Amino acid sequence: MAVETLWSNKVRSGLTMLGVIIGISSVIAITSIGQGVQKATELKIEALGTNILQVLAASARTGGISQGAGSASTLTWEDAQAIAKQVPAATAVAAFLYSPNIQVVRGNVNISTTGIGTDLNFPRVSNIQPQQGVFFSQQDLDIAKPVAVLGSKVRDDLFAASENAIGADIRIRGKRYKVIGVMESKGSVGPQDMDDRVYLSLTNMSAEIVGNNALTGVAINGFLLESSDADQLESAQFQVTNVLRLRHHIRPPQEDDFRVTNQVDIIKTFTSIMGSLTLMVGAIAGISLVVGGIGIANIMLVSVMERTREIGLRKAVGATSGAILNQFLMEAIVISSIGGAIGIGLGIALAFTAATLFKFPFVVPLWSVVVGFGLSLIVGVLAGGIPARNAAKLDPILALHGE
Amino acid sequence: MATIILLKDITKTYHLEAIDVPVLKRVNLSIEQGEYVAIMGASGSGKSTLMNIIGCLDRPTSGEYFLAGINLTTLDDDELADIRNQYIGFVFQQFNLLPRLTSLANVMLPMIYADVDRSQRIEQATEALAQVGLSDRLQNSPNQLSGGQQQRVAIARALVNHPALVLADEPTGALDSQTSQEIMDLLTELNQQGTTIVVVTHDVDVAARTKRVIRMLDGVIVENTQASIDFRLKN
Repeated sequence: MAVETLWSNKVRSGLTMLGVIIGISSVIAITSIGQGVQKATELKIEALGTNILQVLAASARTGGISQGAGSASTLTWEDAQAIAKQVPAATAVAAFLYSPNIQVVRGNVNISTTGIGTDLNFPRVSNIQPQQGVFFSQQDLDIAKPVAVLGSKVRDDLFAASENAIGADIRIRGKRYKVIGVMESKGSVGPQDMDDRVYLSLTNMSAEIVGNNALTGVAINGFLLESSDADQLESAQFQVTNVLRLRHHIRPPQEDDFRVTNQVDIIKTFTSIMGSLTLMVGAIAGISLVVGGIGIANIMLVSVMERTREIGLRKAVGATSGAILNQFLMEAIVISSIGGAIGIGLGIALAFTAATLFKFPFVVPLWSVVVGFGLSLIVGVLAGGIPARNAAKLDPILALHGE
Repeated sequence: MATIILLKDITKTYHLEAIDVPVLKRVNLSIEQGEYVAIMGASGSGKSTLMNIIGCLDRPTSGEYFLAGINLTTLDDDELADIRNQYIGFVFQQFNLLPRLTSLANVMLPMIYADVDRSQRIEQATEALAQVGLSDRLQNSPNQLSGGQQQRVAIARALVNHPALVLADEPTGALDSQTSQEIMDLLTELNQQGTTIVVVTHDVDVAARTKRVIRMLDGVIVENTQASIDFRLKN
């Protein structure tokens, strides 16, 4: 019987604590992960430059039927070259053509990655440089030479750390390519992993991998345009739109067959989405903390009822109401502060694991720790305090004789 | 001899809705230091109420109560808690030990509220447990002890603050006759060592072991006998 009581008490305290632990650790982990991802995104996009426009081929229309966004038939390399010449605000233009799933084989290692066919301006505009070897040359581009520049992840997947990738042969679509460079690591921007890529020359990509499906010229998915600074971006956007409409014979209100986005807009949208997500998930965590608090209150209340005899006895042997109140409050504080401390530890550990696993900066906002711990203490004291007051008020005679 | 308990015109009236129910009617009683007294009476006679008032667990409606010369009528609840702690040791029918604590910790409990420091608590509790013959059971929890042993722990707890008065409420009510005898022997022995003991009981055999019997009926004391040697031998 006593052993049972002991065990039930252990279990009870444990469960109460668990409520606090889950509440706090989720508040901390979620806010930390949210802030980490947000921070990572800001850093990445800043690194990409805030003076970049992205122009993508939009739905091609064949007899009024949309062919789907990004179908590589409305923009051509010639468009990109024309923009470079005719748009004064543009300092550089990099056309690109991608294939989200190409098989890259080296020996018996076979991986799937994103293939990007582009021109010489890409490293400059994307702010990514070869770490080893070189990017392809104008001559490589002109003759569609089978050379490849690997993203750092692709290099690590195909080669051991000790091996030299430069000069090695890999196979793409059964054809032999020579590795001439390895790009520096940039991590992910939004859903795109900048390192999980293989770069080919646009001409080779178009001829060998994707195929030419534009009505005239070399089809591309889009191009990146660099302006001298962020202030020039708006005029660049205006000029690009007009040049492309002219080239594609589009008169408003006809719909454009391309889409212009700039990085600043992307950052703003992403940040605001992330911000409200963090807020929402934080609120959910807060609610779970409150629910945990109600759990504490409930268990403390039951505990007071179960322990009426103990309270009666303590009062009979000389405990004042204040002493009883203190005892129950202390129990609540101990449970919520131990639970709080474990919760903080667990939350930070979770956030750290997530940060390491998904490669974003590990930030624990101090306020989330303070708020989490403070909230659990307040909830614990309130939830424990009210039953404690009832306990202190118990009449010792009734408490002693009540079964 | 000093007077431990002095009750002057104590009345207790419960208010049940519109009706006043008198439970104690002008009770006068004095108990001297070193006495061994039994309070007897059927249920409803007022003996439990009297015991609660003597034990400072309840207050009289009117009248005055002096415990060891202190007028309790004027004290507030916290002061009464201190009085219970310092002057009264309780022994209950159901022992009322805390199941999660060892014998030693149970006996130490009253001293926590007396602000005795820990080493002295251990020393005094060990001493009290030795006094009731449980020196070898210090670290056992109540469920590892027999009923008699549990009641001994409870008696040690009652003695540990060296109270002026030990108040036992049906101390043998939950025990078999053999164990009851042992507990009564222990109480007799403690009384012989000078402890003032008041036992509330309806058991004539228990009452027979005391030196004086107070019998209650309908809220008044109807009999207050100094038990003779003959009376005790007869039983």
